[in-house]
Amino acid sequence: MSVRVEFNDVTVIYPNGARGLSGVTLTLEEGEFAFLVGPTGHGKSTFLKLLYAEEVPTRGQVLVSGWDVGRLSPGRVAQLRRRVGVIFQDFRLLPHRTVWENVAFALHATGMSYRAVLRSVPNALAEVGLLDKADEFPSRLSAGEQQRVAIARALARRPPLILADEPTGNLDPRSSRQILKLLLQANERGATVIFASHDPSIVNAARRRVIALQSGQVHSDTARGTYPDDLGRD
Amino acid sequence: MIWDAIDFICRETVLQLKRERLIALATVSTVALVLVMTGALALLLINLRLWTERLSAELVVHAYFAPDRSREEVEAAVQDIATWADVQSAVLVTKEQAWRWLQENLSSSDLLRGMDNPLPDGVRVQVRNPSHIADVARRLAEVPGVNDVVPSAGEASGERGFVKTVIRARRAVTLGGAIAYVLLAGVAIFIVHNTIRLALHTRWREIYVMQLVGATRGLIAGPFLLEGIVHGTLGAALACCVLVPAHMYLRSLTARAAPFFLLAPDRALLPFALYLLAAGAVLGLLGSGVSVRRFLSHRPEWLG
Repeated sequence: MSVRVEFNDVTVIYPNGARGLSGVTLTLEEGEFAFLVGPTGHGKSTFLKLLYAEEVPTRGQVLVSGWDVGRLSPGRVAQLRRRVGVIFQDFRLLPHRTVWENVAFALHATGMSYRAVLRSVPNALAEVGLLDKADEFPSRLSAGEQQRVAIARALARRPPLILADEPTGNLDPRSSRQILKLLLQANERGATVIFASHDPSIVNAARRRVIALQSGQVHSDTARGTYPDDLGRD
Repeated sequence: MIWDAIDFICRETVLQLKRERLIALATVSTVALVLVMTGALALLLINLRLWTERLSAELVVHAYFAPDRSREEVEAAVQDIATWADVQSAVLVTKEQAWRWLQENLSSSDLLRGMDNPLPDGVRVQVRNPSHIADVARRLAEVPGVNDVVPSAGEASGERGFVKTVIRARRAVTLGGAIAYVLLAGVAIFIVHNTIRLALHTRWREIYVMQLVGATRGLIAGPFLLEGIVHGTLGAALACCVLVPAHMYLRSLTARAAPFFLLAPDRALLPFALYLLAAGAVLGLLGSGVSVRRFLSHRPEWLG
């Protein structure tokens, strides 16, 4: 139900010469919950993109459950992504589809039968407390509600690895706590969760492993840590 | 699993066709217009081929034997000619038959009354392939006892000869048709390609989400390919609705006014319509295939 993640001396250099990551080596065990913190543009998103094969390492090796992400065929990439739930700061919902359709589309597109979709979507929406908004379009929802739809979409398949890229970046404190709670629940069910954030209040409230990135390198890695005081936020 | 994938592709295609009704309507009608031109050209070619085949069938060579040849010798020669590889049929026309025909068909047959039959025995030879008519005429001239051949080998192979004209017309029709088909098919593919490209750009979010959740390339491309096939097939169906009744009407007109140029029979229109529908589907698939392949093989800017 969960996956192990391993970074071995990983470097990412973009075509324009910018460095996304520099020599990152670390491991996340199965079922672990870790915060990925650091200022904007210092490698958090690159770190996450490597895990769902949207980027490949320039040097080094990224292993997800033993799969070398940099060497996957397109078919294997699709298989990997079915095991990963990704949540973004800007939600990335489909504006012309209802809440129900947004979740159903993601399930159906991976080859799930329509009957199974009909069973799974209400459960996923009930988990995030949005069953009563199933027929609404995303534009009629608050930012917090939209993010919960995105979480329902990401968690509906019960993926063993959940990647959240600044999911509370656009939310008020109350909504942020709700999102954190949902991801902690997913972790309790066994999923490995990586939560990228530069919000100290969220990080400090959870008291989980904190991996700090600065200039694409691991600045600190604390088992039950708080947001490092010496780390920038923007 | 495969049925779930087909179910997804069909649902997404229907949803897209419903959502983008105007674009679909514009594409289907434009494809229909192109296929009306293609289909009209195909019908023209079918009829031209039919006419040239009819004319070819009328192309025969007559050989006339010398009067001193006995009937047995003539019959033996005709039997021999009938065995030639290029010859479809060789029929003996006796001088009695020829005389009777002349008396019956000549308007001033009174002139012939009281005359002795001056006509020789002859053979009516039909060739298998019109382009071999000159060869057959040449060989007929070499048969012992043959006095005259009409048309002669020189007439049959002459640049201005009717046979050459018919053969040239057939070749020109086939070649010109092939070029026109390719051009019109290219236009149809271009139209569907542009529409699907537009659809791909307007639906990049859906494609992105599909890629993100692990949809296979086939599942991502499927709805767009099916949409292309639907556009092409509907366009072809619309073209059939114009061309088939138009051809039937023209045939009824020519049947009365110009029987020599009688158009292809109505039963030939069923395979024509099926071919046109298949062509529409294939063109739609090719057009959408090109767009999807291009779109999915380039990393879009919005991936960041």
